[in-house]
Amino acid sequence: MKLYLYGIIDSSNQIKETIYGLEGAGVYNIPFCDIGAVVSEIGQPIQEATEGAVLEHQAVVEKLMADFTVLPVRFQTVIDGRDNLLSMMQSYYKDLKDNLERLHNKFEFGIKVIWPAGKVKENIVKAIKSNEQKMSESDASASKRFMKKKFDKYRMDKEFEAKADKFIKVMDIFFSKFTAEKRIEKLKTENLLLDAVYLVEKDKVSNFREAFEHIKSARPDFKYLFSGPWPAYNFVVLSKKSGLLREPEQADLFDKVTQSQTLVGAKII
Amino acid sequence: MITSGIVETDAAEEFIEEIEKSQDVLPKKIDANPKTVEKGLAKLVLTLIELIRKLLEKQAMRRVEAGSLSDEQIENVGETLMKLENKMEELKEIFGLKDEELNLNLGPLGDLM
Amino acid sequence: MNNVMVKSKDVTLLEILDRVLDKGVVISGDMVISVADVDLIYLGLKVLLSSVETIEKLRGSPFVGPMQEAR
Repeated sequence: MKLYLYGIIDSSNQIKETIYGLEGAGVYNIPFCDIGAVVSEIGQPIQEATEGAVLEHQAVVEKLMADFTVLPVRFQTVIDGRDNLLSMMQSYYKDLKDNLERLHNKFEFGIKVIWPAGKVKENIVKAIKSNEQKMSESDASASKRFMKKKFDKYRMDKEFEAKADKFIKVMDIFFSKFTAEKRIEKLKTENLLLDAVYLVEKDKVSNFREAFEHIKSARPDFKYLFSGPWPAYNFVVLSKKSGLLREPEQADLFDKVTQSQTLVGAKII
Repeated sequence: MITSGIVETDAAEEFIEEIEKSQDVLPKKIDANPKTVEKGLAKLVLTLIELIRKLLEKQAMRRVEAGSLSDEQIENVGETLMKLENKMEELKEIFGLKDEELNLNLGPLGDLM
Repeated sequence: MNNVMVKSKDVTLLEILDRVLDKGVVISGDMVISVADVDLIYLGLKVLLSSVETIEKLRGSPFVGPMQEAR
């Protein structure tokens, strides 16, 4: 029996509400100790992600979020039979339980901010130009001109990033009291200043929203996207990962790569 | 169908544009086809060279900023970096590779550069 | 997001897809019949690790010519 998995919940009871999932199948909870795996039976595992299937999946997870703490499972996870599901629950039990406890009564919110990168850079150039005397370009050799060009770009990039950091720091100050955890990505593109997700406790949500309104009014020239509440998609941390390397090798390589990323100024997580 | 997972924004089009821009547009597979295998390897080697070249450039900029390079040193370093950059442009052209292709996606670590 | 058949211009859908396809709990193992995205991303890392070995093997091949010139 193929079981399509939607999420792990902090309950071993049956789901009271009648929920239908993919292929119109009934959604039910398979308990393991004090937690459960929410599934529906599926005939044919889907090869591609269609819009309809994704929305059906998300609708199920959302309904669960109303009554339980949910660890949402990635789309299209199909387990081969009840026995396999239970043994999976057994091997992941501690991880799942830890996550359920940590994420209990907390929701995820997403915030994205767009800023006018072009204008920001223009202002930086103006500020730099006003500070320096003109170098007589005609005298300089090709190498020197090359270096000057590179250096101008270097300074521009550095200042650009510094401005981004400044705004993000301000956001942090507004949010820190109300957010339990966060994951932020700075300057994903030039214009996408911030792509962030925040984990917020249920009773701090209105404070969080208020803080967001303050931030918006501080910089009305930026554009904002607010999404949520979601179940904690971005905050589930599993220690068992599928990977090509063993744990100590993985950690070592991780360090080496993040070091070289810092040196070239690439984004690090 | 979606009740509580709401998305609020005053600039949907712009966010769509930026989100799509930020998505991985690089082919994730490295072709094992013999015809393209040399291109795959060239890509890999050039990616590594680019990594080192960028590291060197960044180092040079830091030293210019700190004022720890003499005039002559700036001249020499400039010449070398310029030659290196030109050589890389040549190689990219020979193998028909674009800048965006010279990168490696390292999964959860993000992109190499 | 590579295998989404319908390209949507809907920002809500993009937000959902980003989470449902890419985040959340990832179960792996023999008991799993299918997963949404094969971890081809790790191929990049693996190739990086074996790159030296591969280039050694190809010494003498005609197409390595331009590389040698670069040195």
